[in-house]
Amino acid sequence: MAISNTLRGWGFVTPALFWTLAFFVAPFAIMVAMSLATLEGRELIWGLDLANYRRLFGQSFLSGAIIVSLQITLTVTLISILLAYPLAWIIAFRVPPRWQRLVLLLAILPFWTSYVVRSYSWLLVLSREGIVNNALMSLGVIAEPLQMASTRFATVTGFVHFFVMLLTLTIFANLVQLSPNYRRAATDLGASGWQAFRHVILPLTLPGIMVGAFLTFVLCIGDYITPQILGGNNELTVPQVIMVQLGRRGDFPLAAALSIVLMGLVTLAYLASARWLRLDRV
Amino acid sequence: MTAPITIASLCHDFQDFRALHDIDLEIAAGEYIVLLGPSGCGKTTLLSILGGFIVPTQGAVKIGGRDMTGVAPAKRPTTTMFQDYALFPHMTLRDNVAFGLRMRGMARRERHARAERLLELVGLHGDAGKRPHELSGGQRQRVALARALAVEPDVLLLDEPLGALDLKLRRTMQDELKSLQREFGTTFIHVTHDQEEAMAIADRIVVMNRGRIEDVGPPTRVYQRPASLFAANFMGETNRLPATRGEHGLETPFGHLAPPQALIGDGPFTVCLRPEQIRSGTEGWALGSARVGDSAFFGTHFRCHLHCEDEAATTLIAHLPPEVQPQPGARLALSVDPAQLSVFAAEEVSS
Amino acid sequence: MRRLQWGYLLLAFAFIYLPVASLVLFSFKDGSLPLPPFEGPTLRWYGEVLGDRRLMAALGHSLMVAVGSSLTACVLGFLAAYGLARHVLPGSLWLRGLLIAPMTVSYLIVGLGLLIVFNQLGIGLSLWAAGIGHVVINLPLCFAIIYASMGAQQQNIERAARDLGAGEARVITLVTVPMLAPAILAAFFLAMTLSWDEFVIAFLLTRFEVTLPVEIWSLLRSGLSSKTNAIGSIVFLGSAAIVLLLELFIFGRRRP
Repeated sequence: MAISNTLRGWGFVTPALFWTLAFFVAPFAIMVAMSLATLEGRELIWGLDLANYRRLFGQSFLSGAIIVSLQITLTVTLISILLAYPLAWIIAFRVPPRWQRLVLLLAILPFWTSYVVRSYSWLLVLSREGIVNNALMSLGVIAEPLQMASTRFATVTGFVHFFVMLLTLTIFANLVQLSPNYRRAATDLGASGWQAFRHVILPLTLPGIMVGAFLTFVLCIGDYITPQILGGNNELTVPQVIMVQLGRRGDFPLAAALSIVLMGLVTLAYLASARWLRLDRV
Repeated sequence: MTAPITIASLCHDFQDFRALHDIDLEIAAGEYIVLLGPSGCGKTTLLSILGGFIVPTQGAVKIGGRDMTGVAPAKRPTTTMFQDYALFPHMTLRDNVAFGLRMRGMARRERHARAERLLELVGLHGDAGKRPHELSGGQRQRVALARALAVEPDVLLLDEPLGALDLKLRRTMQDELKSLQREFGTTFIHVTHDQEEAMAIADRIVVMNRGRIEDVGPPTRVYQRPASLFAANFMGETNRLPATRGEHGLETPFGHLAPPQALIGDGPFTVCLRPEQIRSGTEGWALGSARVGDSAFFGTHFRCHLHCEDEAATTLIAHLPPEVQPQPGARLALSVDPAQLSVFAAEEVSS
Repeated sequence: MRRLQWGYLLLAFAFIYLPVASLVLFSFKDGSLPLPPFEGPTLRWYGEVLGDRRLMAALGHSLMVAVGSSLTACVLGFLAAYGLARHVLPGSLWLRGLLIAPMTVSYLIVGLGLLIVFNQLGIGLSLWAAGIGHVVINLPLCFAIIYASMGAQQQNIERAARDLGAGEARVITLVTVPMLAPAILAAFFLAMTLSWDEFVIAFLLTRFEVTLPVEIWSLLRSGLSSKTNAIGSIVFLGSAAIVLLLELFIFGRRRP
């Protein structure tokens, strides 16, 4: 009885397991092998060579990309949390319950459109003759249009726009789960509004923040489109460098090594936030 | 439509934990049996074994004379009414009740007619097209009952069926369950931790504790003459008096007592008195005089704390009839009928 | 204090809708440069988009890939969730971890891994390859959503069905799937939107026939254009429509 139950269980799990192993685990293993191979001319030499990884730290355009990626990702994560928390709070506690779902839905509606279109839209807004420059000049704030497109500012703005929506969603989900009695109990025991927030609400919503922050980190550091469209080619992020290797140079081993480094950074971020994530509970 | 059950030396282990020890039980066809005990006593495990959801580690279950120990739930002449009712949320009440008949290949028109008759029987006439979420808790309970009875099982297993209902509704549903059981004649096995519920509906109560059966019998017998100290405590409030074996019987804080039953062992013993057995008067076994402490009125009786004066440390809880009008501070002479007392070997009792 | 909060809400909405609004607004501009000042309105660009064979083909490809990959991901995810939630499997914690794992990996890496494999095996790039990649990223999501909806209460309901005589196949088709329909549909539509919008995997794994985001990407090389605004608006409104429908017909109904 128990054996047949287990066997049938395997039957159900096998298709998904096969897919994951064949199209995710195996390619990943081959990518690891690829990162240890080298390219001589156009020919691929398989081996166990750490040369690609040494290049990452030896060549400044590679190590520079890692630093740029980290700087942008951390800036974006921080700014997005700071902007999203008050928004989630207001929707959770100020907007009347009747309208809450609608307001939340509207607040994250643009989240559902593609990276390409979203980044392109920001290009419209931030370009030399775009709406922002137009408005600032007609208000007399600036005389000359500001250079905003093709800068890190544009990349960060584009990212923050996306991740504010994502974080609003995760933090909101956490805030509405909290019984209002926590806040009542805290204020009843003499805490001021700020103290209640600082000592009770904030620690209780930390899991929501961390889940959102982790997702932000993963999606942001691996994104190619936003920096490519908005940041231009002045400074490259890791995904941009990977694409350059794939396209122009056909240097798959270096691209693979960079991808492994990217995964390493995500793993570090996971370990740093693992306490709050509990992916194993999914 | 109905069948007897034989449970023979049944044991069940969850990993290292022994949930059931050597259960033996005979249940007659058409009996209403209540499995009563605190949470974790094994009553739900026993029910799951009867329903076929758990295969016991040892022992056998026979239903209607046939061995059912390893038979799947669907192939048993039993149906289970689940604690959370487990109604199919996406189906109408009609489809819920007709589901078992559909699985047995009955034609749509026939099974719908039968489902509607059953819904009518449980007082949900005209609601057949509704869905479960439109119903109140009591109504859902009725649908679950109709669904379980629709396939005409020999044995109906009810897992805390009234647990989710408020007190008043629970009393009403107890009466309905009982009368439906009489009507169908099906063997009912009902799990609960509420001893009042058990007494209200059971033909026989099975008191369970820590995976063992403590007592089996009709409610009056189990209440008045429990087979164990645990059963005595679980069936209702008791006053427990320590006792030792003396020259001609028991020595208690209230003096000598001729034992009402044959004593087993050398003692020490515990004498149990139910609060309503204590009378104000001097007939029978006299408990001396006591001062009334707190007293609360319950409609049919006063529940009083009585501080016994002669025997200093003892405080008894008594249910005194309203006409006694016990005032706090008043002094009463107390007695009991010794034939009503129960005596057990003393042991640690965790209430 | 309260005013400040409403003000913040308003500002946040302005920030969130600024790019989307200018995208949609200038798609109606009578002029090829989607920048102020606004002239028009005109539907000319939408006409051009609808008349553009390549864009329309890409739109069709995107729909095919999105529907096909989401369907596959949902079926595989449902089966795996059912197997893991309802059967005793050794190492089920690890299995769940493995199935969830692609969710924590950048799309770029998933795409690159598949690209390397297909190159090494000499398999040509195609919409099929992109579809396989989209199933890889959506399977964990579908699995997680459907698995989370298979609680103890649902298990009890399936037990009741079994108790009444239903075999495993009938339990699944008559009880489990209809009962979990909201979660399954939610997973399906979420996978649809993600696949519909996905760029990098499609970019790496398609060659001659491409999906819409990849086609739009190649339009961007020619700079800002009102026609790009028009197709961008269509993409945005398409996603928004799916999300709104989902809310109205699936999540909105759950409220008692």
